[in-house]
Amino acid sequence: MNSSNGNGSMSTASSSGAWNGRDQFPAGLRVLVVDDDQTCLMVFEKMLKTCLYQVTKCNKAETALSVLREHKNEFDIVISDVHMPDMDGFELLKHINSEMDLPVILISADARKQVVMKGVTYGACDYLIKPVRIETLKNIWQHVVRKKARNTF
Amino acid sequence: MEVGQMQRRLVDYTKSLFMEGFLDAQFLQLQQLQDESNPDFVVEVVSLFFDDSEKLLNDLTMALDQPNVDFKKVDAHVHQLKGSSSSIGAQRVKNACIAFRSFCEEQNIDATLRCLQQVKQEYYLVKNKLETMLRLEQQIVAAGGSIPMIELGF
Repeated sequence: MNSSNGNGSMSTASSSGAWNGRDQFPAGLRVLVVDDDQTCLMVFEKMLKTCLYQVTKCNKAETALSVLREHKNEFDIVISDVHMPDMDGFELLKHINSEMDLPVILISADARKQVVMKGVTYGACDYLIKPVRIETLKNIWQHVVRKKARNTF
Repeated sequence: MEVGQMQRRLVDYTKSLFMEGFLDAQFLQLQQLQDESNPDFVVEVVSLFFDDSEKLLNDLTMALDQPNVDFKKVDAHVHQLKGSSSSIGAQRVKNACIAFRSFCEEQNIDATLRCLQQVKQEYYLVKNKLETMLRLEQQIVAAGGSIPMIELGF
């Protein structure tokens, strides 16, 4: 697992989940990205950092899950690949949905309708087809806001 | 060769890679991500892609060489190669993977072997082209010049 927020450690400044730097939002959005392919992971990390997000990357779903469990309230959104060996994106999504209240975006090179449908029914807030463009990543903050708004009512 | 000439040669060469379909718009995204804080980003990603792909191609060769081919495994490898090639904009490799996957679904051993050859061919072609392009860039930088931005009508 690689923490890449520039400080070399997990940031706990926003552990309450409140947006202290509201003016700069969505800069500082705390993203966990999971993909077993290192090429894809490297590209995602660079794109997310270019969006001024705080990025943590994992190449295994199990690692991502322990990170999320150990550092509850320190992430705003999870982006995960679907097809990974051992635990896949769907299983990770199920665990996250049952244990915590985080929006999860699934990504895949697999655009088949039944797979996308599975993602939707399992509760992914979005399903993106690779290759993902940076313009798409610039808009993911809406899922964070939407979930918070739903929880408020 | 002076810098201006090298730059023109690089621009023409890079444009041809797009025109011939070796690279697509995703590669432009990568170039745009490169900046002063990360001046070797493209080289690093491309190198990672080469490493990953060679491993995947080896795994595919072995998987298709078994007496009882595990098509699920083959499909998983091809899927991964499709994902990484699309992430760097290696369009022809990605397209070869798409065809490959449909034959995996049919469990057609002859067709999948042909697809493997096709994917390998496309991979080595794009690898060669990218290495040439990156070498041209290095020569320009070494001669004190800067890498020209490509204007494409996408």
